[in-house]
Amino acid sequence: MNAIECKGLTKMFGRVKALDQLSCTIEENKLTGLIGRNGAGKTTLLKIIAGYLRETSGEINVFSQPPFNNLTVSANVIFVHDQMNLPTALTLEEILAAAGSFYPNWNHGLATRLFDYFSFQPLQYYHGLSKGMKSTFNMILGLSARCPLTLFDEPTTGMDTAVRKDFYRALLKDYMDHPRTILLSSHYLDEIEDLLEEILVLKEGKQLLHTTIDELQEWAAAVQGKAAFVQEWSKNKQIIFSEKVGMDQMYTVVKNDFSDKERQLAREAGIDLLPVSTSDLCVYLTSSSIGGIDDVFDKNVDDSGD
Amino acid sequence: MSLTKMSMIVVIKKQYAFKLQAYSQVFLSLIFLQMIAVLFSLGGVASMGSSDGMVEVQLSYYSADMVLVFTMLWGIISAVLITTKAYRNDDYLFITNRLTSNLSNLLFLLTASFIGGITAILSSYLLKIVVNLFVSEYFFSNPNGWPGALETLLGIFSAFLYIFLFCMLGYLAGTLVQFHKSLTALLPAAILGVLFLDVADGKAGVFADIFTFYHSESSVFLFFLKIMATAGLLFLASAGLSNRLEVRS
Amino acid sequence: MSLNLDGSKPIYVQLAEWLENEILNGHFDSGQKIYSQYQLAEMFMINPATAAKGLNILADKSILYKKRGLGMFVSEEAKSIILTKRKTQTLTGLVEELAAEAKQLHVSIDELIKMIKAAMTRRAEE
Repeated sequence: MNAIECKGLTKMFGRVKALDQLSCTIEENKLTGLIGRNGAGKTTLLKIIAGYLRETSGEINVFSQPPFNNLTVSANVIFVHDQMNLPTALTLEEILAAAGSFYPNWNHGLATRLFDYFSFQPLQYYHGLSKGMKSTFNMILGLSARCPLTLFDEPTTGMDTAVRKDFYRALLKDYMDHPRTILLSSHYLDEIEDLLEEILVLKEGKQLLHTTIDELQEWAAAVQGKAAFVQEWSKNKQIIFSEKVGMDQMYTVVKNDFSDKERQLAREAGIDLLPVSTSDLCVYLTSSSIGGIDDVFDKNVDDSGD
Repeated sequence: MSLTKMSMIVVIKKQYAFKLQAYSQVFLSLIFLQMIAVLFSLGGVASMGSSDGMVEVQLSYYSADMVLVFTMLWGIISAVLITTKAYRNDDYLFITNRLTSNLSNLLFLLTASFIGGITAILSSYLLKIVVNLFVSEYFFSNPNGWPGALETLLGIFSAFLYIFLFCMLGYLAGTLVQFHKSLTALLPAAILGVLFLDVADGKAGVFADIFTFYHSESSVFLFFLKIMATAGLLFLASAGLSNRLEVRS
Repeated sequence: MSLNLDGSKPIYVQLAEWLENEILNGHFDSGQKIYSQYQLAEMFMINPATAAKGLNILADKSILYKKRGLGMFVSEEAKSIILTKRKTQTLTGLVEELAAEAKQLHVSIDELIKMIKAAMTRRAEE
């Protein structure tokens, strides 16, 4: 069964298209990473799934129901993000108790163990916490609620490396004990990719790629060597990224559909076929030009403006 | 993981309990405002004095009306407050839809008005005691003596109704403001403008008519009906308007 | 524990190779139950689906076999399968690369064989 289904989902803010005819499905009980540059529409998508925002056009179903203004969807979804407005009148302990009173699957044991582990004080107030501590507290809410659909939007904002590691471990352990659908957006793909089963890449409000993480790891290959040879080898391939290295060397990332025979020939021709890390690949895929930032500084481009 | 279904009543109950706790600052400001109002009232609402050279008489009238006026203002402010961003999105942390959110706000405002009504009326006793003990040398309560239990209850009831009416006014205003920021300025300006025109005209204007409509109603039951019908309409308007509003942070 | 020492291979392939090493090193005998998908996921902090995929390639190669409801077990011929596979695949690939590098550096066949022999003797002495 699918937890989330979108068809032609579009969201406009004034004249800006945040989501543009997005179609995607998220299967139940999978841990999926939501990747994209700033402004690609990740947060907008999550807010629509959580029922915060209403789609401009298209269709979205969460657990087979439109999420906007929907009590059932709300009862089964928790949305953790870094703009959470927690009540200023309540202590951290009281907030946990309040969350527990709402969510039917809430595990208070887990909540208090995490609370103690991360050295929170019961009588502290949320607005007095540092950015990293706020994120940590939000994460405790998100995990302990054990909602069938858990949305994390940049959950590690401000956390230090040790806490981020702890969070990933906690997330994975709790996910294995209580499998549920989790959508996790993050800027640190290299940190989270091992945790993920699938990855959904957004670019300019559209789905760019939706695949398992294993396939993504082999999805592209880098061709490196003498520029002339590299151009020859990448001629019939889908070029994702390309840059000149040194005098006559070139590094080009292409979609990996090389046959074993081609690999063999390439090796003999002195061309290196290298793997591309998923986080680099995502940077290349989501960038707006093939040469990246170097294109901006390209000396060959005429600056005179005519 | 299996899906949970939640009935609306259950969610509203939880939200109501949560709001009593999370919005507790509202009650602190109530106490503060009423204290100020009592202090202001200690000056008396009217006074006269005479003297024949030997004996000097200074007569002061005291009234707790100011407390009630302050409490009504507090009702408006509190209702507007819970529609502001800091409070209105609190529901979305947990389980909600627009209707349950509005209904639990209604319950909260009913509770707040009730508490406001009780404390406003009781503060008139406080005023009497303070005046008697510290301000006046001779104290006369109203000619019929101290009000009886029924009279006090009636006072609380009508104070509650007035405050609740103002809460609903504030709630609608707060909801309207969410549609466009410019309404934050336009709405008070419009109200002040109409008031000003009324005064400039020199005759009873819109506000005076509205005031008379409620205030001069002699039947408690009809008064209750009038207020509740108005408050109900105001709430329906707010709930209807906000039902399609998005959560913006 | 960390798998991702060399990012050149997908995690499940690295996991499969790690398990093969465990079997070759004698940490698991034939007929013995191997780590479950969830144990592996926790050990390496990876998604359980990835761990399952790693186990499944070994099952496809008959290095592991499934017992319904009990988990995965090391097969009788596991070691020999792994050894043959490594010889044919890994070693051939390495030799191929060695030859290419030797050619680029103008190392003669005899020289190369001498170097290999020396390396082998050193290992034997250790």
